[in-house]
Amino acid sequence: MTQARSHEFRTRAVQALRDETLKSALARAKDGFVLKRRQALDALPEYEALRDRAVAIKNHTLEYLDHYLERYEEAVIRQGGHVHWAENAEEACRIVVEICRQAGARSVTKGKSMVGEEVGVNDALEAAGMEVVETDLGEYIIQLANEPPSHIIAPAVHKTRGQISDLFHKHHARYGLTEKLVEVPDLVNEARQVLRQKYLDADVGITGANFLIAETGSNIIVTNEGNGDLTNTLPKVHIVTAGIEKVVPTLEDATTLLRLLPRSATGQQITSYTTLSTGPRRPGDPDGPEAYHVVLVDNGRSAMLRDEFREMLRCIRCGACMNHCPVYGAVGGHAYGWVYPGPMGSVLTPLTLGLREAKDLPNACTLNGRCADVCPVRIPLPDLLRSLRHRQFQHQLGTRRARWALRLWAWLAQRPGLYRRVTTLQVRTLRLLGGRRGRLRFLPLAGAWFRGGRVLPAPEGETFMRAWRRRGKNP
Amino acid sequence: MSGARERILAAVRQGLGREALPVASREALDARLRSTVEPDQHLRPRLAEGDIGYLFRARLQSVSATHEPLGSEAYVPAAVAAYLDSRHLEGPVAVAPCLRALDWRRAGLDPRFGQSHGEDVLCVSRAFCAIAETGTLVLLSGPDNPTTLNFLPDHHLVVLHAPDLVSHIEDAWTRIRAREGDWPRTVNLITGPSRTADVEQTIQLGAHGPRSLHVLMVDPGDR
Repeated sequence: MTQARSHEFRTRAVQALRDETLKSALARAKDGFVLKRRQALDALPEYEALRDRAVAIKNHTLEYLDHYLERYEEAVIRQGGHVHWAENAEEACRIVVEICRQAGARSVTKGKSMVGEEVGVNDALEAAGMEVVETDLGEYIIQLANEPPSHIIAPAVHKTRGQISDLFHKHHARYGLTEKLVEVPDLVNEARQVLRQKYLDADVGITGANFLIAETGSNIIVTNEGNGDLTNTLPKVHIVTAGIEKVVPTLEDATTLLRLLPRSATGQQITSYTTLSTGPRRPGDPDGPEAYHVVLVDNGRSAMLRDEFREMLRCIRCGACMNHCPVYGAVGGHAYGWVYPGPMGSVLTPLTLGLREAKDLPNACTLNGRCADVCPVRIPLPDLLRSLRHRQFQHQLGTRRARWALRLWAWLAQRPGLYRRVTTLQVRTLRLLGGRRGRLRFLPLAGAWFRGGRVLPAPEGETFMRAWRRRGKNP
Repeated sequence: MSGARERILAAVRQGLGREALPVASREALDARLRSTVEPDQHLRPRLAEGDIGYLFRARLQSVSATHEPLGSEAYVPAAVAAYLDSRHLEGPVAVAPCLRALDWRRAGLDPRFGQSHGEDVLCVSRAFCAIAETGTLVLLSGPDNPTTLNFLPDHHLVVLHAPDLVSHIEDAWTRIRAREGDWPRTVNLITGPSRTADVEQTIQLGAHGPRSLHVLMVDPGDR
């Protein structure tokens, strides 16, 4: 499994907040994603109906997941492909390495696969002595930088053009490309040139899957660059890595989800390439792989079926939740410390790696609810994050001070009269402390929060309850 | 390996809180799998009134693809030659074997028929159908239409016959199911040239696949 640094969230978030380059990269990306999604959905009056249908399709499939997985497997085998089952990350890596070994592979190209990132397949292949080349431009950039992705659909969103220029200058010299390029078209062209040879030389191509179709035994990938297609067409072996929750019954079901995925992700009606791959090349086919393998990965997913976290298995990995998250927008993806960032990552990471490793993630949330509003499959992300906080409290994982503070608050909240009196007093005191400028620069017991010059706006002197009553009488 | 399969399926059933499904439930689910008719027609995005050909061309334009009308498939070689000329392109050309019967010599071309190995400046293939809803070309792999032609050249030209234009994505699935033979290895839904926005969200065409996509729309009625 890819090494996690989620326990370092606080330190890494603070570092990220001080990183001006990151701040500008994130600001630019966020505006683009949010605006383009909005425009795409404004042009789709069927959006809400499609969301309802998408939720129904996903819920139905999860309810009968065992059956659809078996039917999917039968269909793949009928078409001449192989299906492998991996309970965890290590098993998934072992299976992929073994297939590559048997194919005598020295060089492996990869299309973008979040499951591949999750299980850490690159490290496993490199440890087995194979060259692994990421071919999605964003993934290629972060591979050169030796970093994990910071966004699930735009892995190098945190990198500026200048940083990419430096990376290419450093790493492309060995191909005889020594000129330092700075313009976007030149950078893209150079990567195209370098990667073109990699595609042609590769023995095995690995892609992910946006959907697996039980009806036909196909996997579907949704891309814009064409790298996924060169990866699954040119090498003699094609391996698909996919989570077990990716299966849907029919192509019609996938179509409903396909109408939501690119719009929610990049604001496109459809991506440049939507590709169905089904088994190996057929008799008489002049191209395509000679062998087709699917590795179905559980890695904690079956356990999520048990309770409210089943809803998380509807996720189609569009990234809309992180594009609309103020916390992600401020700290970026790397602070989250693993492969899935933002709201969906704050749910998935603790469920996969344990609450102890990822204890800060469910709390790195303002519960503003925008992620749930924009989720095309209506995953109640804030509710799930709140459930995780509850679990954390039950398992006594918070700091002692936080636990006592929560207990004290719970005691107070159960006594409404006293609660009102205490909060009224609190609000007045804070207002006094805030002075004429209405700003707090220090508070007893919370000194650490103000370190580094943070400023808290002081309350305006009235509690919410009082304001509510006043406005209720005179709206 | 089969051990892992059984353990995962058992874990899924445990998560769902039930045993393996009884035969009757399985049959009901299989009936859903086979009846590929959509349950909700209203979920198809409503298209603008009028000719779907017009909509399709507008969609092509919005994804930076180009197109030209041809009165007959016989004019394809001349159109390809004109395309090469107007852009001052030189180099090998590969053409899908399904277009072998056309008179390429007369247009002054000597293309190779078959897959591409990456050296071609231009490739020509034939679409199985196209989708007006999204401006998408649907190409099927096979001996007559190699997949490499769709991704390796800088310029990809696709022959589309007007009667093969359908309105929605689902109509393409229906057509593929209705054709003879096995389900193809690869179904490519292609909408515009290759693109990337991975460098500072700036859209750049020609990331790894074709830099331009040009549709030759054969319509004998279109004079």
